Amino acid sequence: MTTKRKIVNVIAAILKYGLLILGSVFTVLPFIWMISSSLKTPSELIAVPPALFPEVPQWQNYKDAWAAAPFARYFVNTLIVTTCTTCGVLVTTVLSAFAFSRLNFPGKKTVFSLFLATLMIPGEMLIITNYETIINLKWIDSYKAMIVPWISSAFYIYLLTRFFMQVPESLYLAAKVDKCSDFKYMIKIMVPMNKQAIFSIAILNIISSWNAFLWPLLVTNSQEMRVLSNGLVRFQTEAGSSTELIMAASCMLVMPIIIIYLFLRKYIIEGVTRSGLKG
Amino acid sequence: MKLKKFGASVLAMTMAASMMVGCGETAADTTEAPATETPATETPATEAPAAETPATEEAPAAEAKNIEATEITFWHAMNGNLESVLTEITDEFNASNEYGIKVTLVNQGAYGDLQTKLQASAAADALPDLAQAYNNWLTPYIDKAVKLDDFVATDFDNWEDIIPAYRDECSEFGFIHAVPYNKSTYVLFYNKTMFEELGIEVPQTWADVEAAAKTVMDAKNIAFIGYDDLAGVVEASLHQDGADYVDATGALFNDEKGLETCTYLSNLYNNGYARLVGEDGYFSNVISNQNIASYVGSSAGVSYIKAEGWDLGVAPLPGNVKKAANMAGTNIVMFAQDSNKQLAAWEYLKYILSTEAMTKWAVNTGYLPVRQSSYETAEYKAYMDENVCAAACYEQAKDFFFSPTFDASNDIRSTVPSTVEQLVYDKADAQTWLDTIVKAINDQY
Repeated sequence: MTTKRKIVNVIAAILKYGLLILGSVFTVLPFIWMISSSLKTPSELIAVPPALFPEVPQWQNYKDAWAAAPFARYFVNTLIVTTCTTCGVLVTTVLSAFAFSRLNFPGKKTVFSLFLATLMIPGEMLIITNYETIINLKWIDSYKAMIVPWISSAFYIYLLTRFFMQVPESLYLAAKVDKCSDFKYMIKIMVPMNKQAIFSIAILNIISSWNAFLWPLLVTNSQEMRVLSNGLVRFQTEAGSSTELIMAASCMLVMPIIIIYLFLRKYIIEGVTRSGLKG
Repeated sequence: MKLKKFGASVLAMTMAASMMVGCGETAADTTEAPATETPATETPATEAPAAETPATEEAPAAEAKNIEATEITFWHAMNGNLESVLTEITDEFNASNEYGIKVTLVNQGAYGDLQTKLQASAAADALPDLAQAYNNWLTPYIDKAVKLDDFVATDFDNWEDIIPAYRDECSEFGFIHAVPYNKSTYVLFYNKTMFEELGIEVPQTWADVEAAAKTVMDAKNIAFIGYDDLAGVVEASLHQDGADYVDATGALFNDEKGLETCTYLSNLYNNGYARLVGEDGYFSNVISNQNIASYVGSSAGVSYIKAEGWDLGVAPLPGNVKKAANMAGTNIVMFAQDSNKQLAAWEYLKYILSTEAMTKWAVNTGYLPVRQSSYETAEYKAYMDENVCAAACYEQAKDFFFSPTFDASNDIRSTVPSTVEQLVYDKADAQTWLDTIVKAINDQY
């Protein structure tokens, strides 16, 4: 009986790990492919059958890609824009989520419904009008233009409001009895209790801000203000593209995101699994 | 309950509002267009010759022109080497012009990005002074383009020197709305080594293509020909067969000629003589691996072909009852509204179109000269001697045609390729090809 159970256990383990390994191969393969492509020569890249690894790693590709555009400047810009929008989003989201979930003020439900209603408008429709606003404000080619329109998000506010609502009201009342101000309660109780949700909002925002392409392209003109994703199109023309350079540049572009992920992995996974969001 | 009802009405209102915004924009576009046309384009155009007149009367020298120092922005989509050459030519102009005009180049990414940004900027009334553009991008905001007729008539050395097909394309809307600049054409790239090995001559006609394709198929079991641009090949083949493609009213080839063209194309694919590019995107990769004997693609793509272990040949497109070749590449449109800026921008356009600057541009980028006189310079002749692609392009310059522009032209361009792809997958017969493509095109109106 025990041997039978042992065998079943071993088979189950093999199946489990087999599936996990298969899953991770599927997930990791595109990254490996990107890295190996970035080190290939153009002819290796298009060779049939394709080789998984280059014969001689072409580190020159990274040099060439780096030299093709002011990527250092793009990097700094992307970092500034991502940091500022993420901080902005966190401040506005936490404050409004707290207000919507805990405070009572006239018209609360109306305002919340209006917020939700804005989720129904596709972003593409707002691009032209937002662009016109930026032009009228004379903000073209500035960090403001890339940051200000993105420092609040109805979706994140809705998400965090739901999390804040789950915190029992008795905690709030108990804090009130102890003469805790609303702001202090928010900072000391609500934020720490919903750390994971706030982290996942930050991560989602970092990713979307890091990858933003169209908006930065629209509102900037000079090379000094462009961001990393704009640099990638440098390798594409009407008649062909230098795939190895695109891959090298892509590696440089995603590296910071991967590093952030490695450091914050625990929070991201907790936040995403708890909130039921698909990453 | 109350909230639910209220929420529902808010959502309904938002949706209604968003729909109205959508309608509002198009309505404004169509109704405002004629109204703005007059002030936006006519006035500056008439002002220009006024400023010009004293110059021609007093002295032919350009000093008499009264242009104040100004900055001109030029949005382009030239990347890599193309951008460096454009920058070099522009720097030369900035340093040498006597009026203190400074042209600032603004790279707006790839063509698609430039198109998006131009469209958004047209809606926001924030167009640059100069921009590269294809004609079919311009239909929604052609009223914002400056009419260049008077500039060309009074202040251009020799407009007749510009290749006729380019001139026609740049005056497609009934006035000169652009000057040609980075022009390329579709040519036949072929594996010369394979052709020699199999004893194939470069195909001149459709019949030659079919014969050569059979030889290649029998000997190597690979496709003979591929087309980077499936909309382009349908259009070019119709012209080669003496038929028309589309105009503002719909598809023009729902007849015997159209069926003949579809028979040729469907046979190529159904027999395996032609193939789709698939995931590679461009046939330059496929031919580099010697997995196809030849392909039709833009002359600007020659640098992406890696001929390692074989020789590359380039030839004009094969014809049927006549020869016809698509031209590609953008023109430069002027949007500057201020008359001084218009004069300044024109100075720049004259400079980059001069025989000397144009030859430099062509030799260093592989784009085709837009002027006959550039083709005739010793420098370009020497370039053609070394560069098989340039020579082939020059040979077919007389056969160029351009795609007509109208409201539906952009949609047609994006619909036809997927339609053809599906027909190839279905191994459809010629009649189905004809009916399906005609219907796909007519559905866009």
